[in-house]
Amino acid sequence: MDRWIQRTVQRHLPWSVHLDITYRCNERCIHCYLDHTDYGEMSTQEIKGVLDQLAEAGTLFLTLSGGEIFLRSDLFELIGYARKLHFDVSLKTNALLIDTQKARKLRELGVRRIQISIYSTDPEVHDAITKVRGSLKRSIRAIRFLKAQGLHVKIACPLMKQNLSAYRGVLALAEELGVPYVIDLTITPKMDGDTSILPLRVSAQSLLPVLQDPILNPPPDTGCAARDSTPVTGSATSSGIESEAYDDIPCSAGHNSCYISPYGDVLPCVQMPIPAGNLRRQSFGEIWFDSRAMNRVRAVRESHLPVCSGCSIRQYCERCPGLAHMEGGDLLGAYERACDMAELNARMAGAVNPVSALHAMKALTDDAASIPMKPAQVSASDCGH
Amino acid sequence: MTSRPMRNPQLAWREIDGEIVIISPEDSQVHELNVTAALVWKRADGEQTLEEIAAGMVSEFDVTHESARKDVAELIAQLAEKQLVTAAVEVKT
Repeated sequence: MDRWIQRTVQRHLPWSVHLDITYRCNERCIHCYLDHTDYGEMSTQEIKGVLDQLAEAGTLFLTLSGGEIFLRSDLFELIGYARKLHFDVSLKTNALLIDTQKARKLRELGVRRIQISIYSTDPEVHDAITKVRGSLKRSIRAIRFLKAQGLHVKIACPLMKQNLSAYRGVLALAEELGVPYVIDLTITPKMDGDTSILPLRVSAQSLLPVLQDPILNPPPDTGCAARDSTPVTGSATSSGIESEAYDDIPCSAGHNSCYISPYGDVLPCVQMPIPAGNLRRQSFGEIWFDSRAMNRVRAVRESHLPVCSGCSIRQYCERCPGLAHMEGGDLLGAYERACDMAELNARMAGAVNPVSALHAMKALTDDAASIPMKPAQVSASDCGH
Repeated sequence: MTSRPMRNPQLAWREIDGEIVIISPEDSQVHELNVTAALVWKRADGEQTLEEIAAGMVSEFDVTHESARKDVAELIAQLAEKQLVTAAVEVKT
């Protein structure tokens, strides 16, 4: 697969596309970055037209997400159309509306993977996050329906202050269900830049016991049935695919992947709200190949990053350029969360007092500011002597 | 050479630079086809016979008809073994 990733990165082919078909949702998760109002979603025909263009452009991996995708009455029609165009289709859903019949239909349509978020095995905790009573029970029941059809389900467990200690139970549930899981440490600002949900984030220091938990770092050959090849911590929005092709680029966004909103807006990534164009006014090819935004993102190289490229703990950092843009205001910049996490990761790897380049610069600035000003030279005459 | 092989419709696939990558939704298995195998794959539409696929190969590549027939038969057998195509849909009368 690595050869194909390299080729698509070199040729700027949109190998993987995340398409949100609705922002409407039947849950109201407290950490959600979306506005659930429908401002005019693309119609069935419009989305089919987009899929035609993506197939033509070379997209293979298609993730349909939202909002809650099962709120669209044309969902199966859209999946069926995508499969006829030979896309590899994955879904993200809260699964509340999935019953046996729908699970069977997904299997018949050849959906490859379905990701479902579970926040805790305690209904009080899970349902308080989704704000829907009974949602945990319904999501778990749906996972069983999907598994019974032989479908591949993955549990994502976004961690926040409300469920920090819940991951062990979620992992045990995943083991019991025989499904892989990912612990997602990413809480992002809302897509409009609103940072009001960021206080839900767990501090880097508080994450230390989680990341050091042996249950997340089992020794090899322990026969963990539910574990797949992807890391157990990461971003639920990321493909998790590693490749040398990504070595000198910050991530796949704009290089071989992008995001499309229910309104036809094309962005490099759902976590990088830099508008590149709209499919109601332009073709996908025009936006993908020629837009200023895509070309700007595409031009960035890791070695060009003014602060991060010289950082001594860069190998421990999972800097996201989208979050750098949203949280630090600079696509090329460093931002606090990434630096905190890099220092944490470095400490866990045995580094003594690791300091990120950003924090080192800030310390220098603070030191300079705290040096007492040299007293002005006073001449004898000023003193009246 | 009268059977009409057909691609497994459950598979996801894309062509890039004449080569093809295939993913099976059932087991996430990835298969890669070189330019020659890709030509056979694309023509395995349940309509064309092995003979017609071989003729297509002759027109695309510098190969004899005899060699093309042999290559197509071998490739289809390999693809069928991996359940990427169904080998024989219909026998032409």
